[in-house]
Amino acid sequence: MRFALTIGASALAFTIAATSAFAGSNDDWWKKAAEPYQGVTLRGVTESSPPSLYIREVLAPQFEELTGIRVDVETTSWDQMFDKAIKDMEAGTGIYDMVYIEQDIIYSYLARDFLTNLTGLIADNPDLKAPTYSEDNFTTFADYFKDGDGNLYGVPMEAFIKVYLYRTDLFNDPEIQAAFKEKTGKDLKPATTHADYAEIAQFFTDYGKENDMKLWGTTAQAHTGHVASWYEYFESVAPTFGVYNWGIDADNNYAASVANGGSMNSEEAKEAMNWWLSMRDIAPPESNASTWTEVGTTFGAGRAAQGLVYGENAGWIAADKTKSLVVGKVGVALPPLADGVLAEAESGEGYIGYYDGGAFGLPSTSKQKEAAALFLQYIGQDEVQPDWAVAAPRVTNKSTYDDPKVQAMNEELGGYYDMLKDKGYLFAGAPAYPFHAQVREATAPTFYKILTGDLSVSDGLDQMATIAEEELTNLGYRK
Amino acid sequence: MQSNRLGWILLAPTLTILFFFGVLPFIYVVYVSFHSWNPFAANPEMIFNGADNFRRIVFDEEFLNSVGVTVMFVFFAVLSELILGYILAQAFMKDFPGKSFFRTIHTLPLIMAPIIVGSVWKLMTTPSIGIIPHYLDEWFGISMNIGTSAFAAFTTIVIMDIWHWTPLVTLTLIAALVSLPPDPFEQAQIDGANKRQIFWHITLPMIAPAVVATVFIRLMDALRTVDEVWMLTGGGPGSSTRFVGVHIFKEVFPKTNYGYGSTISVIVLYLTIVACWLLYVTMLAPRNSKEG
Repeated sequence: MRFALTIGASALAFTIAATSAFAGSNDDWWKKAAEPYQGVTLRGVTESSPPSLYIREVLAPQFEELTGIRVDVETTSWDQMFDKAIKDMEAGTGIYDMVYIEQDIIYSYLARDFLTNLTGLIADNPDLKAPTYSEDNFTTFADYFKDGDGNLYGVPMEAFIKVYLYRTDLFNDPEIQAAFKEKTGKDLKPATTHADYAEIAQFFTDYGKENDMKLWGTTAQAHTGHVASWYEYFESVAPTFGVYNWGIDADNNYAASVANGGSMNSEEAKEAMNWWLSMRDIAPPESNASTWTEVGTTFGAGRAAQGLVYGENAGWIAADKTKSLVVGKVGVALPPLADGVLAEAESGEGYIGYYDGGAFGLPSTSKQKEAAALFLQYIGQDEVQPDWAVAAPRVTNKSTYDDPKVQAMNEELGGYYDMLKDKGYLFAGAPAYPFHAQVREATAPTFYKILTGDLSVSDGLDQMATIAEEELTNLGYRK
Repeated sequence: MQSNRLGWILLAPTLTILFFFGVLPFIYVVYVSFHSWNPFAANPEMIFNGADNFRRIVFDEEFLNSVGVTVMFVFFAVLSELILGYILAQAFMKDFPGKSFFRTIHTLPLIMAPIIVGSVWKLMTTPSIGIIPHYLDEWFGISMNIGTSAFAAFTTIVIMDIWHWTPLVTLTLIAALVSLPPDPFEQAQIDGANKRQIFWHITLPMIAPAVVATVFIRLMDALRTVDEVWMLTGGGPGSSTRFVGVHIFKEVFPKTNYGYGSTISVIVLYLTIVACWLLYVTMLAPRNSKEG
């Protein structure tokens, strides 16, 4: 948080100065376009994350200064953000003019017509079209926020991949390398297979014990009562074993069980779960109570040699000295994969990990659609992106990668932006299910029982597949 | 007649607010409980399904488990708070050095929002990092992990609740004890009654209404505990701390199962009323009938 605010504050000064140059030529357009909306206050709700804080602290005040349209952005917890947004759109109260759309919930929102078609709105109102805004500027991540006809329903504001993060200081230490070589007969380098990853993890956990260090071989996002663990397994681990889309086959009557054509309880899914649980068992003790936030904290505290970490946390882990003990000691790599998974990802038949992120959308119930469309275009411009990317590691526009500031940041992040740019296509967001939270919540209690050992992996996944199909039948998707 | 009318006029604002923010939503929840309604279902409309939700609840293992866990929590937490609260109230009836300071400190947890309490306890109990597991390990060699041990998670929540709410019990019992007349106690002492006899036959019967009122408040609060548990364990490990409030929250908010979630809410309200009624019958009714 402090990281974001500190950088955000410095970015504010820098951005105001920098943007005044580009904005100069377009200031008149923004002022003129905003004239009909003087006195309007836009309200947005979003998760309290570094990119959102940057909107609240930097972009909203800039926009207000330029246009006179006030923008209040409410940043709150992940749960509260959804709760508030959904209730507002469901009840049609029109409190919010902008809502955060996480990539995995867009399909639910679209199914309920909660969102305004931004492409259509701007096309129908040419006066609203900002000269510096174009949907073509976005990376392919924006495709997640489009309908079948290519209409955009949200301006991308954050995009991350969940990367394999490792400690370069440990991996490059000659003594540790020699010890690893002696123990395993292999060179110490980031793993490309699950077996290699497990070997490295075990080595570092043992190394920590032997040397009385608070060091373990891997992270594990394995909370026994929070959906973070469910997500780590289904979106980050299972795909690396070739189990995609949570093991549910949308083209086969939403089958989840192997018996009906799904793969939620397939041998690959069970192998993935066993592997992941074996990693959790040699991860730091806090892993059983860790969500994505705590995993970042664990890595930033130098307690893990490697792990799968959300890109939004990779930034402060690699660069924020006030929060992280491993600044400058972090490298990124692709997650370890089972045979054939990379080929499937490259051919577009599968994926190797989670492409996370979100957009700012315009609720159908908003009473200030035109003014909100102006603000959304403002935050979607190429010109505001580089400082935003430096303040909160996220890239949503193609040109951002080439900015010198971003390239410098890329070095600091161990090549994270390069990976996002060059290998981002191998990762995927959540499957296009309108029943995302419903199936997740229906199966989560059983999933937690696997984590606590109350159910075996095999029985647990069998039960989860059955429960998922029952829930899908109850919801009317599975016939 | 005039004073009666004035009374209604004075009550009108409160009754109006209660009607719109209490009675109407309650009626709506009861109405929804007879429907199948999930806005993210293939058919997002509200569909009347009679008593299906109520039939389903009887066989819902997760719900039954959550009721069981909640009853255990309420029993241990409220009973402990009552006993501790009474002991502290008696202590505060006496003078001792630093009494005012200690009383102030002891009351501080009451002003903390439950969500903050949950956050603070989470920080203190995070496995291997929090101060509690750290010192339990260092001093006693006890490994405490609320992420894996159902017992540790449940016990921590009970202790957290006791820490948070015992001051309320203490304050109400102090108020009750202060208001007791001295005569019966002096008489009992003259008659040779010992401390235990004075407690069972004089103090407890005389403060019984205050005790019952306090237990009612704590019982209702404890039955709907969500925030602290949500922050501390999220209902885990597994379903070991998935109290009924947490269960309803997960059913209604993330799962958006409004129909079935409303049914659970109605049943829980019913169970709360029954529990309060039983408490009243066992603790106050015999006394009232004796007096009558």
